Amino acid sequence: MSSLTVLYDPLCGLCRRVDEWLAEQPKLVPLILVAVKSDEARRRFPNLDHEPTVNDLTVISDQGAVYYGPKAWLMVLWALCRYREWSYRLASPELLPTTRRVVSLISQHRYQISRAAHLSR
Amino acid sequence: MSVEIITYLVYLAISIGLTIWVAHTLHKSGRVFLVDVFHGNEQLADSVNHLLVVGFYLINLGYVSLALKLGYNLASAKEGIEALSVKVGMVLLVLGGMHFFNLFIFSRMRRRATLRNNPPPVAPDAFTAVGAA
Repeated sequence: MSSLTVLYDPLCGLCRRVDEWLAEQPKLVPLILVAVKSDEARRRFPNLDHEPTVNDLTVISDQGAVYYGPKAWLMVLWALCRYREWSYRLASPELLPTTRRVVSLISQHRYQISRAAHLSR
Repeated sequence: MSVEIITYLVYLAISIGLTIWVAHTLHKSGRVFLVDVFHGNEQLADSVNHLLVVGFYLINLGYVSLALKLGYNLASAKEGIEALSVKVGMVLLVLGGMHFFNLFIFSRMRRRATLRNNPPPVAPDAFTAVGAA
């Protein structure tokens, strides 16, 4: 796997803040950040159903493997030098249910969180 | 020679001998490990191995030297042996601690190195065709 494309929601302040943070992190696998439902996203992945990418963070490898929601978050951690160990820890059978719950909670409330943290435009 | 002098000499002989033996073991067995960590780069592995052993010698011999002084007089050979056993016991504990610390460093280096090639933590949800970038 030589790169991961991250489809993120540019309307969400929290996501933009996370993207800035990601840009600063040392990586083991390069991350390409593309806005959801943008022309670029459709050009890169012509056969993908782009509707669900609005609701959940989506990560796609250069070989076409698609990861949604919690798995996408784990793949992003896996790509980072400092957090690869954490991706395995959080993906372990003991912690995966908690990871899923926390990730979907944050995803569902991302606009509220952005507003509360004054991250909105 | 008084009992004190003999005790000191025996203490030095035992501690230095032990230090050399542990350092030699570390040097010999640690090499394989380091070569693996540095992906077969033997020159780098030998260099790091040597530097680790030098640090090991400095700390251990430093402790042996600092702990030499007894601070009281020995009346008999029996007291000499008792004092010796305490001193050598301390040296052994320090050596053991240092040795495990070295093993910890080795295993951490190895884990870091192997992490780089580890597969993704989760299986993909689906597959899609990848178009032009």
